[in-house]
Amino acid sequence: MKADKDIRQQFADTMLEVGQADSRLVVVIGDISHFKLQPFAEACPGRFYNIGILEPTMISMSAGLSKVGFLPVVHTIAPFIAERSLEQLKLDFGYQALPGNIVTVGSAFDYSNLGCSHHCYSDFALFKSIPTVQVTFPASALEFDLLFKQSFDNAFLTTFRIPAQSHGVEWKPEEVKFGKGIRVTEGADVTVVVTGPQLKGAIEAHRSLARKGLGVEIVYLHTIRPFDGEIVASSISKTRKVVVVEEHQRTGGIGQEVLEIAHGIGGVRFASLCLPEAFVREYRSYEGHCSGLGLDAEGIVNSIESLLR
Amino acid sequence: MDKNKERFPTTELNRDLRRLIVEMVYKGKDGHIPSAFSIIDVISFLYDDFLRFDPENPGWEGRDYFILSKGHGCLALYANLFKHGFISRRDIELFCMPGGILGEHPDSTKIPGVEASTGSLGHGFPFSMGIALGQRIKGGDNRIVALIGDGECQEGTIWETALVAAYRKLGNLCCIVDLNGSAEQILPLGDLKAKWEAFGWEAHEIDGHSQEELRRVFGKLQFASEGRPKVVIAHTVKGKGVPMIEGHGVWHHRIPSEQEYGHLMQVLSDESR
Repeated sequence: MKADKDIRQQFADTMLEVGQADSRLVVVIGDISHFKLQPFAEACPGRFYNIGILEPTMISMSAGLSKVGFLPVVHTIAPFIAERSLEQLKLDFGYQALPGNIVTVGSAFDYSNLGCSHHCYSDFALFKSIPTVQVTFPASALEFDLLFKQSFDNAFLTTFRIPAQSHGVEWKPEEVKFGKGIRVTEGADVTVVVTGPQLKGAIEAHRSLARKGLGVEIVYLHTIRPFDGEIVASSISKTRKVVVVEEHQRTGGIGQEVLEIAHGIGGVRFASLCLPEAFVREYRSYEGHCSGLGLDAEGIVNSIESLLR
Repeated sequence: MDKNKERFPTTELNRDLRRLIVEMVYKGKDGHIPSAFSIIDVISFLYDDFLRFDPENPGWEGRDYFILSKGHGCLALYANLFKHGFISRRDIELFCMPGGILGEHPDSTKIPGVEASTGSLGHGFPFSMGIALGQRIKGGDNRIVALIGDGECQEGTIWETALVAAYRKLGNLCCIVDLNGSAEQILPLGDLKAKWEAFGWEAHEIDGHSQEELRRVFGKLQFASEGRPKVVIAHTVKGKGVPMIEGHGVWHHRIPSEQEYGHLMQVLSDESR
């Protein structure tokens, strides 16, 4: 599988493959990816529903499908599930302990020029507010494929935040394990804990700082919950310095989880690159938003150098 | 099965079940009596004469599904679950008490026979649509009945579900609207039957306290995996059975005093009424 394969296309391909093998899989969409999913619809008749633009009902209805033994996969744009339908996720899936899967597009500010209505940088926090929900952020096609296959039929509601861009890193399939982080590079000077496409910038920062003789250890997290505190703690215990990089607001992001671990270790210097507690209001490209927020290789280098001063 | 059924014969006013509800609220010091009294006759009809179920095996694949979307009316459901042997006398006695399984909203994770945890209005109905769709995919002949309140009809998800269920031809789904006038107090619904028909549903109107009318209408409903979903608009009286609490006054969530408890029990014991 190519490292830069479109992840949304992979979603459709994985549904086709898994849907043919497991007749419990039902795909329910809120009028997006309709054409991409036609191969699934044709191969799995009666198990594909473009239900309309009514997200809270779509979530409750999918919980009803789960109640009678199906494994629903609900797919639409992130804020319409994470924000608009949070109560349905909490009560109909979460509290009733019904399994299912949520696959979102529109990660953070991917729909850059569509503005606040289509941005979603609170989803980790909102999903994690429901005690039983599992949260993933697969930022390559292979990660989506493997994480989905490893978790879609477990006893929980699992969310998959699909970004528009892949980080472009190729993994060996055995490296991608649900709930486990990946130590991408080894280094003794500073740890970078990163999630999503930002891994690309973290690797560039690693290379840039290596030329200056600094060792950056990158810990990559594709699973947000369960949080792999072990890999984070082992790296921070060694470097005592950590920069967290995430396309998410500060509140409820992985930075707070890392900070808690760092506090337990003690004597750790911490910095966080994330979205500030403010709305993203500018019209510009995804890359423009990233650079404006310091979420790129240059921003990561600057953050590390500040921490080391 | 139905071990308590003989102790609670269905009557036009289900007095025994109403007394049980009053007793639960008085002892548990919580609960919505009038909301339960407005639907007790409908739910009793369903459990006595319509739904297929097995209290010894609540998860029986062939069962019909009843989803109480207006969860605050749950005392009417609890009384029937007790009557039909899903829950015990001890469960009833521990209503709203530590260690009990019965709270002020039905909880599917605790109570045998409860299909959905409800309470926040507008959830149970779309949830029941998912069950109906799932049973159609499976090829089951299960019938799915959801009960919603007229106040609950102010929730957008009710009409989203009405739209989808009709378009998807979920002929195995029936919605009962408890039209007890709650909505009228705040945001009138207008011609409710015409609204449901405009959404593509087969609509019926009945007196929701008349066993005869319930039998007549439910006897002619045709359930099928494909077809028009059905709505039964049940005209009811909130608090029906005791004039003191009927209507939309302070009794919505009131706990009877000792004196009021005595009065309620006495009125509900008076066979001449």
